[in-house]
Amino acid sequence: MKRGKQVPFRIGTTTPRCDACTKVTGQEKYAADYYGDHFFWAGVKRAGTPHGKLLKVNTEDAKRLKGVVAVLTSEDVAGSNRVGIIRGDQPVLADKKICYAGDPLALVIAENKEALQAAVGFITFDHEPLPGVFDVEEALKKGAPLVHEDSPEGNLLRLVSVETGKGASAFDECDVIVEGVFQTPFQEHAYLETEAGWAYLDDSEQLVVVTTTQTPFRDRNEMAPALGIDVEKIRVIVPYLGGAFGGKDGIAIQCLLGLAALHTGGVPVKMWWGREESFLASTKRLSARMRYRLGVKRDGTFHALECRAYFDTGAYAGLGETVMTLGLEHAGSAYRIPNVSIEGSCVYTNNTVGGPFRGFGVTQVTAAMEQVIDMAAQRLSIDPLAIRRSNALEKGDKNCIGVTLTHSTGIKKCLAALSEHPLWREKEGWKMKAEQFKKRGVGIACMAHAMGYPAVVPDFANAKIEFTGEGRFRIYAGIVDMGQGNTSTYAHIAGAMLGQDTSVFELVQPDTERTLPSGSSSASRTTYVYGNALIIAVEDLKKRILDKALHLFCSAQAEELMLVPGGIRHREGKKKVSLRKVAGLFDEPERTCTAHFRSPAATEMLDRIYLGPHIIFSYAAHLSYVEIDMLTGCAEVIGYLAVTDAGNVINPQAYEQQIQGGIAQGIGFALSEDYKVANGHTDTNNLATYIIPTAMDVPDMMSVAVDNVEETGPFGMKGIGEISISGPVPAIANAVADACGIRIGRNPITAENIFQALQKQDDQEKPR
Amino acid sequence: MAREVLLPRTLDDLWEIFHAEPELHLYAGGTDLLVKLRSQPPLPSGSPSPLVCLERIDGLKGIYEEDGLVCIRACTTHSEIMKDPVIRQHFPVLTKVLSLLGSPHIRNMGTIGGNICTASPAGDTLTPLYTLGASVEARSCDSGRLMPLKSFILGPGSVALQQGEILYGIWIKKDHDFNIHHFEKIGQRKALAIAIASMAALIKLSGEGTIEKIRLAWGSVAPTVAVSHTIEDALTGKPLTENVLRDAMPLVTDALSPIDDVRASAGYRRRVATNLLLRLLQYKDA
Amino acid sequence: MKISFVLNGKKKTTDVEPDMRVIDLLREHLHLTGTKEGCGSGECGACAILVDGESRLSCLMLAAQLEGKKITTIEGLSKGKRLHPVQKAFVENGAVQCGFCTPGMVMTSVDILSRNPDPSRDEIREGISGNLCRCTGYQKIVDAIEYAAKDKNR
Ligand SMILES: Cc1cc2nc3c(=O)[nH]c(=O)nc-3n(C[C@H](O)[C@H](O)[C@H](O)COP(=O)(O)OP(=O)(O)OC[C@H]3O[C@@H](n4cnc5c(N)ncnc54)[C@H](O)[C@@H]3O)c2cc1C
Ligand code: FES
Ligand code: FES
Repeated sequence: MKRGKQVPFRIGTTTPRCDACTKVTGQEKYAADYYGDHFFWAGVKRAGTPHGKLLKVNTEDAKRLKGVVAVLTSEDVAGSNRVGIIRGDQPVLADKKICYAGDPLALVIAENKEALQAAVGFITFDHEPLPGVFDVEEALKKGAPLVHEDSPEGNLLRLVSVETGKGASAFDECDVIVEGVFQTPFQEHAYLETEAGWAYLDDSEQLVVVTTTQTPFRDRNEMAPALGIDVEKIRVIVPYLGGAFGGKDGIAIQCLLGLAALHTGGVPVKMWWGREESFLASTKRLSARMRYRLGVKRDGTFHALECRAYFDTGAYAGLGETVMTLGLEHAGSAYRIPNVSIEGSCVYTNNTVGGPFRGFGVTQVTAAMEQVIDMAAQRLSIDPLAIRRSNALEKGDKNCIGVTLTHSTGIKKCLAALSEHPLWREKEGWKMKAEQFKKRGVGIACMAHAMGYPAVVPDFANAKIEFTGEGRFRIYAGIVDMGQGNTSTYAHIAGAMLGQDTSVFELVQPDTERTLPSGSSSASRTTYVYGNALIIAVEDLKKRILDKALHLFCSAQAEELMLVPGGIRHREGKKKVSLRKVAGLFDEPERTCTAHFRSPAATEMLDRIYLGPHIIFSYAAHLSYVEIDMLTGCAEVIGYLAVTDAGNVINPQAYEQQIQGGIAQGIGFALSEDYKVANGHTDTNNLATYIIPTAMDVPDMMSVAVDNVEETGPFGMKGIGEISISGPVPAIANAVADACGIRIGRNPITAENIFQALQKQDDQEKPR
Repeated sequence: MAREVLLPRTLDDLWEIFHAEPELHLYAGGTDLLVKLRSQPPLPSGSPSPLVCLERIDGLKGIYEEDGLVCIRACTTHSEIMKDPVIRQHFPVLTKVLSLLGSPHIRNMGTIGGNICTASPAGDTLTPLYTLGASVEARSCDSGRLMPLKSFILGPGSVALQQGEILYGIWIKKDHDFNIHHFEKIGQRKALAIAIASMAALIKLSGEGTIEKIRLAWGSVAPTVAVSHTIEDALTGKPLTENVLRDAMPLVTDALSPIDDVRASAGYRRRVATNLLLRLLQYKDA
Repeated sequence: MKISFVLNGKKKTTDVEPDMRVIDLLREHLHLTGTKEGCGSGECGACAILVDGESRLSCLMLAAQLEGKKITTIEGLSKGKRLHPVQKAFVENGAVQCGFCTPGMVMTSVDILSRNPDPSRDEIREGISGNLCRCTGYQKIVDAIEYAAKDKNR
């Protein structure tokens, strides 16, 4: 683990992240860390009521307060006042309607925080309350109140259906049919860094916004029409984020900050949401209700699958329909199923706002699918691992929506590794050792996760690397690093190719003026797509460096030279010249290499599913050890194993970080996280009531990476960012069922839920 | 408008402040009060009442023994109490409770007096102190009075302090003869957990396994700590067996009056608090 | 109100509103933005600092309370370019991801190790149980603290 100063990056070898030092010393400057000698604070008055016709926002009293600079309402928004990447249905500041409790009604700019807080408290509004819709199935009924009166299909945002083979009629050919209804709640990302930013008009009247977002280039395109300014007049800068997990994908704080900066007379303005505001106004993982039916042959072969899903996108479309669609594309998890009938409705309600969350919609469907599989295995008395192995996808198979898998497909390898792991082999012995009032169970689950955008959305990155005058390398990362460490991995890749160590790299975080458009930090794509582009740029640069270096090694051929840490050496001779010296030979324009890469995408069956299918998937098989306290219902995860096929591993430490972090969030989702909304209001509005795991709630986790190479990936890798979050809910639910025979069908599987189910089981077993 | 924050160093200083500023907010660790103030909208004008922080008053800190009694002064932090050898030796139930209260940071800041004066139904220190039969001492500039903790706690968020009075200390008798000190808390996670239900128990168990004496108290299942002499009487003199405990369980259920909240339903609280009694079986052969 | 205290080894006197939260004093007045705010209500530990060597939540402390105290923030831990052993352990063990919990986590770890130089993994988990981290799943943080404890250079 200890490395000397001069050890270059190597693919497959752990190297601490480039950003660790500045973060561990408190030097790294996040969006919330911008202050100045003279600046204003901005903040928002929010509705606090879920549905109504907005008649008037009363700002006069607030405006009169000392220290208040301006109070803006929708009338002060010069542009369309609408954002939302697909539907554009969300106002920057509410104008006609209130569609959920977090809707922003007015924006206050003040000289200090105290005045800001007081002013927000003084704003009132007149509205006509409307009955709300809070349940997906109720929302689709005739006569249900409409969240958006102008929505073409009422509260139905999108219906997606896929049928393959004989569809549902194939159930007639099955020996065993199992079914269940599964529900997953809204999940809050709960990144430690709440939304924050700093904005100002620079000398050229350009609006500069430094903020927390996963989508700087897209934001700029959305902000311009919404605020009525030219795209070229907006610059978005994104420092390292303090976590995001999908929750900073799309417009949240960006327009409000921008709008504020347009009204300060040139003074910079700062905004930083408190925890409660972040919970109220940020997006949530879409809650889902799924009816599942799985038909199986006597030998355990999956034959038919039916999935009817309802996803709650809340008040605005955002990316809700794409979240659901990705879920439906994974409705059959990692198995061959010849006949499927999948249908999902993405529905508007007045609950909250749904959006991307690590795992997208896959986490929801996997929770359901992997539980019905255990139910089928139990009915057929087949081992849950065996039934999975015999149905697992292989390269060349068709997945559940009928798309042929032409890329690396390692789920069988994952299951094989799991079957040999001590945690699987020793499980019966472990279960026997439960103490008084405890029961133990072991559960497994498989998962797949697509990488990148769906087929019809171009998935590309533009890499840019500069060889500086000092002989250092500056990588311009166009994709946000929300904490996953993608930008460090860019240095790792370039370093491995250039024979350099961390010390010569500089990473420029996304800045619409300095870095090149490369899409969002999402979809498990950041290393794959940018890494591929970077490899091309680095090859180009390397060639340029060696060619230039020839001037300093008279008589040599470029092939005889090699890059070593800090310099260039002749392969045979002893002579070494420093990079700085070589850099001196470069003309300015030659220093920078750029390259474009577009990810491979499906070319067939584009109409199979909304926006087209994916073709590259990562796979995993998880196992959990769970102990239940029969007196209280408390479930504790005692052990956890994740076996993953995410292609080749570039940096084992960074890889494990993703696996472990995803599992911990998944354990939270499985056992305690529940963003409860009742009649449009939530009581789980802070970290005291929305329960994420502490260090005592997560066990030591084991991670195994199976040996598999994705030929199209940079050094054979594929996406690792999301997949692990989809395992814990089903793996833990299956372990709970294994321990005490109950299946709750709904997470979080709280102590109370388990307790009630146990009680019901007791009542049923009691002779009457 | 900024608030004044006063940090008296002695009780006499405090009394003077009381005299000059009858309207004030006291705090010790601030882990309850400052959280509460945060959620209150600021006053746009006028001068808010001053805050008086008790953390610098040496006379309100520390643990002392006097005539077979131990006095924990009100502003002693949870961490300090946990570390104290006298408490560890004589009142392990209290040490156990404190090790589960909030988080290490909260224990470094929060005080036992603050926990008592907050008088939350979920206040963790209350159940062990009830079982230990603790008394509290309130003091004002010219007088002091001692009363059982039970009479000090009036209801959720309400204690029997009068204008100009503070909680000075908690008195506990050292010479109890309980040989089993038990506490369990059910929360939504293992740390930073507000109790859904909790139970403290002190038992004097004979060598033969007979319950010679028992004190029980439940938290988070009633407006204040729930105790019941009926249950204690029913168990006294009986052997510590599953049947004996199960027989007493209906009495527990009757003694509780929980409510629904964001953390759990009343029904769950009632049943699970009852079940906690069975956990005492672990001491059967101890 | 004038208050005097020792900040990261240096005497400091500053004129502030007495009811300003310590976290705001550090970040807004003293430009020490290493200390983070994740909740403002004691739940996350991101704002942890050391006061007279013991951890405190700077979001639940008012400026006046600093009078005469010794404060250490994340900025005061490393000596020049040399990382504190706990910081070094965090870097090498991959305990840092987004890094937003990191300053509070590091300060807490220093506190843990000062009281218990050889903690078990369970003791470490208990010790950092007031510091939420949403990225790491805690495992590598526990590894790092364990490593720092064993690190002979301490
Ligand atoms: C994140 C978090 C987790 C928590 N977890 C728990 C938990 O698990 N269990 C639990 O029981 N509590 C918990 N609490 C609540 C709180 O920490 C405790 O109640 C703590 O003991 C309060 O002590 P304090 O000194 O900080 O109180 P303060 O906030 O200083 O005071 C609380 C109240 O008591 C009054 N007061 C304080 N001292 C005196 C005195 N000597 N005389 C008269 N009045 C006085 C104050 O005026 C104030 O009204 C938690 C709090 C937080 C923020
Ligand atoms: S900011 Fe202080 S504990 Fe969260
Ligand atoms: S590293 Fe992101 S919260 Fe801990």
